[in-house]
Amino acid sequence: MDQPRIGVYVCACGTNIAKVVDCDAVVRAAEGLPGVAVATTYKYMCSTPGQEMIVADIEEKKLDRVVVASCSPRMHELTFRKAVKKASMNQYYLQMANIREHCSWVHGDGVEATQKAIGLVRAAVKRVAFHEPLESRMVAMCPNTLVLGGGIAGLTAALELADAGYQVYLVEKADHLGGNLARVDLTAPHLDSARDLLRERIHRVMGHPHVEPFLGAEVQSLEGYVGNFTATVAVPGGNGAGPAAAEGDDGPTDGGGATRSPRTLEVGSVIVATGYREFDASRITHFGYGKLPNVITSFEFERMVREGRIETVEGRQPQYVAILHCVGSRSQEFHAYCSRVCCMTALKYAHELKSAVPGCYVSDVYIDMHAFGKGCEDFYRRSSEVKTLFLMYGKNDYPVIRKAEPGDDCGMLIEVSEQLSGELIEIPADLVILMVGMEAREDSAEVARLVGISQDKDGWFIESHPKLDPVATTTEGVFIAGTCAAPKDIPDSVAQARAAAARILGKIARGSIEVDAVFAEIDEEACSGCRICNELCPYSAIEYKADEKRSRVISALCKACGACVAACPSGAIRARHFTDEQIFAEIVGVLA
Amino acid sequence: MATRVNPKLIDDLEQYGAEDVSKCYHCGNCSAACPFSQGSRIFPRKSMRHLQLGLEKRLEGDLEPWLCYYCGECSDECPREAEPGETMMSLRRWLTSRYDFTGISRLFYRSWKAELAAVLLVALLTAIGFLLLGFLGGDIRIYDGPGAFLPSHVVHWFDWAMAGVLVILLSINCVRMWWFTLGREGRESGTHVPLREYIARAYLLPFHFITQARYSRCERKRPWLVHLVLMLSYLTMLVLIMFFLESMQSGPEIDWRVHAFGYAAAVGLVATTAYAMWGRAKRAEAQYRHSHESDWIFLILLFVVAGTGVLQHILHRADLEVAANIAYVVHLMGVVPMLVLEVPFSKWAHLAYRPLAMYFAELQLRAVPSRAPAETARPAATS
Repeated sequence: MDQPRIGVYVCACGTNIAKVVDCDAVVRAAEGLPGVAVATTYKYMCSTPGQEMIVADIEEKKLDRVVVASCSPRMHELTFRKAVKKASMNQYYLQMANIREHCSWVHGDGVEATQKAIGLVRAAVKRVAFHEPLESRMVAMCPNTLVLGGGIAGLTAALELADAGYQVYLVEKADHLGGNLARVDLTAPHLDSARDLLRERIHRVMGHPHVEPFLGAEVQSLEGYVGNFTATVAVPGGNGAGPAAAEGDDGPTDGGGATRSPRTLEVGSVIVATGYREFDASRITHFGYGKLPNVITSFEFERMVREGRIETVEGRQPQYVAILHCVGSRSQEFHAYCSRVCCMTALKYAHELKSAVPGCYVSDVYIDMHAFGKGCEDFYRRSSEVKTLFLMYGKNDYPVIRKAEPGDDCGMLIEVSEQLSGELIEIPADLVILMVGMEAREDSAEVARLVGISQDKDGWFIESHPKLDPVATTTEGVFIAGTCAAPKDIPDSVAQARAAAARILGKIARGSIEVDAVFAEIDEEACSGCRICNELCPYSAIEYKADEKRSRVISALCKACGACVAACPSGAIRARHFTDEQIFAEIVGVLA
Repeated sequence: MATRVNPKLIDDLEQYGAEDVSKCYHCGNCSAACPFSQGSRIFPRKSMRHLQLGLEKRLEGDLEPWLCYYCGECSDECPREAEPGETMMSLRRWLTSRYDFTGISRLFYRSWKAELAAVLLVALLTAIGFLLLGFLGGDIRIYDGPGAFLPSHVVHWFDWAMAGVLVILLSINCVRMWWFTLGREGRESGTHVPLREYIARAYLLPFHFITQARYSRCERKRPWLVHLVLMLSYLTMLVLIMFFLESMQSGPEIDWRVHAFGYAAAVGLVATTAYAMWGRAKRAEAQYRHSHESDWIFLILLFVVAGTGVLQHILHRADLEVAANIAYVVHLMGVVPMLVLEVPFSKWAHLAYRPLAMYFAELQLRAVPSRAPAETARPAATS
């Protein structure tokens, strides 16, 4: 190999780097390295003049490699790749040395930090000499979409895509559409009917020429990669929509069709909108759920409201009703997170109770009132005006519910260490409503494995970026929407569903997908077919060709994590842009 | 031991004027705005909370409502329009009815019709009594001196008898107030106030009664001034009537030693009651924004009494003796219900409760642990 001509650009990042690292010393050290044709420093390399300087040097000084010593590549690698591309250089001839996050921001001693920065630059210079020109590839995009879950998020996403003219397969595990929302009477804060929200959507989905709904169905497998997935769906009776199409009465019930014949579907994208399940209130013993008959969950109360009969088990109208917030949420023992919808739902119950049982007294026992949505603070105020008694209890200091004495004018008493008065008090109650929180569904781990996405410690599916990329996942082509990702209310779920649909429509509009040039490759001559890599790959990106007894990387799925490269006993796997020579050269550079 | 919440109390208090207390969400702005809310006496938020929770016993033991003069700063600052100032006012009404052992006060505050009926009934009885007295022993054409329609020594005797009854009634209520705030509270918290403190601090009673010094510390001075003028005018008139009634009606000559005070007091009374009525009608100031029926009945009575007092004097001086005597009877028809009904059972009881509350509040600070701590002792942190 000819001696490369390398340009080294040391960024001062204003004072972010320069206040600790002596940038001039780094430049002087770089100048002495073999292959370095030019080394310089500038206040902000990422600025337009900074980038133009690199472009000009490549063209004038005939550079063929570039090292930028600045911030983390997560911050500006794409910026500088674009810059070198502008100068007609292959973008993979760029290497970055992180002298900000890894150096100036974490070290106080300027001399040592400068030594470290020089080491990092030396490593980058050594490495970049071994870089290869790589080209990204384009693959075709199948315009069909698979939507998992027929709740409000799934229905919305399906309609959004279908209305744009693309085929959607909607798979719902239960024998009816509507999900958890179908179990709710009114919605907060405007007290609109949940049924009205759903009915129109379900009706349209069932009759839409571009939606094929599968009820009581389950996805058995998903293979392939973005733009080119193949899904197998087990369908009861073998055909599409079952008879029970309207929103159901209670709970996600298993379809359980006797004969399940799989259908194979070709799709380009997947939206996971599998929703949540409610917290099991009997896990908290203080509340006596399951033992005290008039302690009920919020969903049981919804059912009462829908049936138009708010009564105790004894058949009497309750005089005192207590609503207990954060059941299973915001506690160390159960779930640390807030379930987000319960506060406003509780206020909704206060309104429903006051209109259904005019003489009743409603106590609302909360930890904090989270009224963050549009119109919610106003709803909170109106709930005060209808004389809801608000009581605050401490986190992890659970109220205790017990049966009242025969002489009391109420059925139960709730003992609370009340925070706003500082008193230990007891609240009379004939009916207690437990605001059960949301938790990940029991089958969420299975779904995650099936579509190749990750879960957080609570079981929620993880988004690509919590703020900037909230509906994409680490698996390209698989999107998440609604409460399967985290607790959220109807507007947020709908927004996510539409966001996911928009992302997919964008990909369909382009017609093909660019696949990053950085991925692992298996030398099929060297592969022994041991299948260690197949099991190891966190992205299910390696397929095994049984007939050839060889494994092959699906480059569109590979994220170049390198796990297979390290594990392969035959040394048959090579990660592009992370070759052994490149990494060894880097190590030599650091240690020199 | 947990205290039982009574969600119904808030409905009861609504009739006393606390209509907006349920809106409070305890941000604490009111207590931060109140110039009197300091140290262990955090109000109005604490009182609002006790009311929302319906902790009746705790409310009965609270002196805070009496320490508030309703300057209205709290209500202005309240982001929820929960009207903390008016809530404190309503609590004063409710406390008055709680201190009153007869239950009449509760009846009056919950039904203005009952209060008005009682006023009219007492006025009617007064009229019958004094007309009988006049026609049996006097001449309607004579206002004062021998043969007067209403001889001043008889009226004077009647005044003292009435005062005796009122003092007894009010004293019983004051003892109940002491029991709720110092006696019972002390027993439950295992503390008591030494007798020497009761004696050493006794000067606070006349001090606060005469000067209204605490009221004067409110940011707006005008309400204090109006109230002070009203109170001093009334006090002057009371002293004149109780001790110098005969010299006020001595004869054709004006006895300036009493009349100079009398005229000043009459002007003060008429002016301040007229000002207060105008303010309530216009809702001109914070403390006038909400008017309970009992406020109006009290003010109108006071105005009628002051007005007819002035009128009878003018008529008498104009030698219209018959008219003067009729005005006198009407005057008494106002005075008797005003004193008999308002002092022990309604708004006017605050003349005793306010100075007592300030006295008791000072004493509460000087409470010491009782020798044998009560078994039902509450943790000290409850207040």
